[in-house]
Amino acid sequence: MTETRATAAPLAQDGDGVSVVLVDDHHMFRAGVRASLDDRVRVVGEAASVDEAVAVVSALRPAVVLLDVHLPGGDGGGGAEVLRRCAPLLGTTRFLALSVSDAAEDVVAVIRAGARGYVTKAIDGPALVDAVVRVAGDDAVFSPRLAGFVLDAFGTAAGDVATGDDELDRLSAREREVMRLIARGYAYKEVAAELFISVKTVETHVSAVLRKLQLSSRHELTRWAAARRLL
Amino acid sequence: MRPTVRPSVRPPVRPPLRRPEHGRRLAGVAAGLAVHLGVARVGLVRLVLVLLVPFGGVGLALYLFWWLSVPAGDPWAASAPVRPGVLVRLARRPAAGVPVAVRRWPVGDLVVGVLLVVGAGLLLARRAGVSADVSWLLPTIVLLVGVVLAWSQLDELQRGRAAGGDAAPTPRRLSPVLRLVGGLVLAGVGVLLLVGDATGGGVEPGTLVQSVVAAVAVLAGVGLVAAPWWLRLVRELGDERAARARESERADIAAHLHDSVLQTLALIRARADDPTEVARMARAQERELREWLYDDRSVPGTSLAAELRAVVAEVEDTRTGPEGQAVVVDAVVVGDRVPDAQTAALLQASREALVNAVVHGRPPVSLYMEVSPRSVEVFVRDRGDGFDVAGIPADRFGVRESIVGRVRRRGGTATVTSSPDRGTEVHLCVPVDGAVPADVPPAAPPDTSHDTSHDVPPGPRAEPVRPVAPAGAPEQEVR
Repeated sequence: MTETRATAAPLAQDGDGVSVVLVDDHHMFRAGVRASLDDRVRVVGEAASVDEAVAVVSALRPAVVLLDVHLPGGDGGGGAEVLRRCAPLLGTTRFLALSVSDAAEDVVAVIRAGARGYVTKAIDGPALVDAVVRVAGDDAVFSPRLAGFVLDAFGTAAGDVATGDDELDRLSAREREVMRLIARGYAYKEVAAELFISVKTVETHVSAVLRKLQLSSRHELTRWAAARRLL
Repeated sequence: MRPTVRPSVRPPVRPPLRRPEHGRRLAGVAAGLAVHLGVARVGLVRLVLVLLVPFGGVGLALYLFWWLSVPAGDPWAASAPVRPGVLVRLARRPAAGVPVAVRRWPVGDLVVGVLLVVGAGLLLARRAGVSADVSWLLPTIVLLVGVVLAWSQLDELQRGRAAGGDAAPTPRRLSPVLRLVGGLVLAGVGVLLLVGDATGGGVEPGTLVQSVVAAVAVLAGVGLVAAPWWLRLVRELGDERAARARESERADIAAHLHDSVLQTLALIRARADDPTEVARMARAQERELREWLYDDRSVPGTSLAAELRAVVAEVEDTRTGPEGQAVVVDAVVVGDRVPDAQTAALLQASREALVNAVVHGRPPVSLYMEVSPRSVEVFVRDRGDGFDVAGIPADRFGVRESIVGRVRRRGGTATVTSSPDRGTEVHLCVPVDGAVPADVPPAAPPDTSHDTSHDVPPGPRAEPVRPVAPAGAPEQEVR
């Protein structure tokens, strides 16, 4: 793998569309995703297991990895294990988790391991491409469900509002407002219109929430993750 | 009374030896034997047993031996688990009908009564001058009482297992230990008295103590030697139990897959030309399977989130969009609490709003519920063309009464916002008393999955889903 490291960067910025690696152990599903993507993205590689994924991602250095949460191989850690083993690449390669399961432990495991977003496999083609492009632009992708989980984990009571920007364990009032609108099914554009802010600001808020979700030591999250041996 | 043999349900295999609960006269030994041996008349077995008594008490000894060693239970039920679990699920054995009032002899009372009568007889005999040598009697009685005390818990254990199935472990209580210790002490005292009596009463206390110490030492030595074997036995038993539990779980899942998934697939194939129906069946099956795989199924009546998901499932199953297509509702729930009258009204209103969104709006339809200590909020949104909220005629009962009115009567608020480009959103909010906290452990994320709850037991999905109860808490079926 060391010999590919030098040539990694050009692949990712290769003209037509965002380079994507598909990681899923079901061939049928990979074929389906491939067929549903349009020319804004370009599939450069596929992998079907944890070890394969680490090798392919390290070799190809795509802009985005579509990562299934449940994967065979490796130490049995699935998508989160891929993320951990690809940790040095997280600066250049973004991971978007994709799963058929909506179980919160799956969501949080991959998000805390470094994924920039989480979508379910029920997502349609254009929405998936949107999500990939968004993640490639270093934004976070929050589905209504993920937003709902964030609200749950960070609490919805009045005393849970963060006062300072550097507080990791609580959401600011604005961040919570954004999360609630996303949970209600609003697209980023609609959230921006509803709150009279720009889409860019919405993206900033969402990224801040993602960072808190990844770094927070909020006791519910910690205890909950520890109970499932995620930490 | 001869209900022991039921030829209609008797399987071709020989039922194992069990002491049945009904049809027994004393302890069910004869009845159980009759079933096991296939003897149609239980009286015959009883007669043989009685006839054997004079021959050195063989009949009595056999009876006592079987009483102690044969577990109580239904022989037919006991023969059922021989078949694999899947088959049991597929072809359910006809139930034994209404529970028969089990007629039981009050054995304990009888024993006490007999003992008292014997005691009284002895006293009478002594008074009458018959001085039989009965000094052995007291130690023997003490010994017997001790043995019965110790053995009685075996029967108790079996009864508990028969009542609660194999999985139900006997609760750990003090009483078995007390019984065992009491029985041991009594039996020991009885033996000592007997021995002392047999050696003519001339045993010195010192010798007695010595022999007791020796006996205890021998017992301890045997125990020490036998301990590894015993431990291994216990461990193997535990392993076997765990394996059986796994096996039964796997059989359960296999049966479920067969019952619902395969059936749904067959239905889908049969109706492949009806996209709405196919989409709906696939969705319902997905929901059910998700519930099986991911959900911590909550106890009915304790989770508002589960009830909301049941409402969503009902709407998804029974309503179609304006073009006749199946509509998927994207439901997100934050927090949870125990349902009450307030939330029941909110659920009803939410259901109406949801039906409106599905039937008149355009997908995707989103549902968001947030439970906070003081209030419960619900947002229902669709992406339809919207309508003029102010222009709803007063006689339109739908929105005004079933949604707004329901919530307002509970002291809540209901607002409808609608515009042609952003669809319609209904916002419902009902105050609740903060005394009832969310009844979920903090470690468990309340909404783990995609509106998976559906409180219809696994089974064919063809039957219409029952409507939500018109008033009060929505009904929930016990799984």
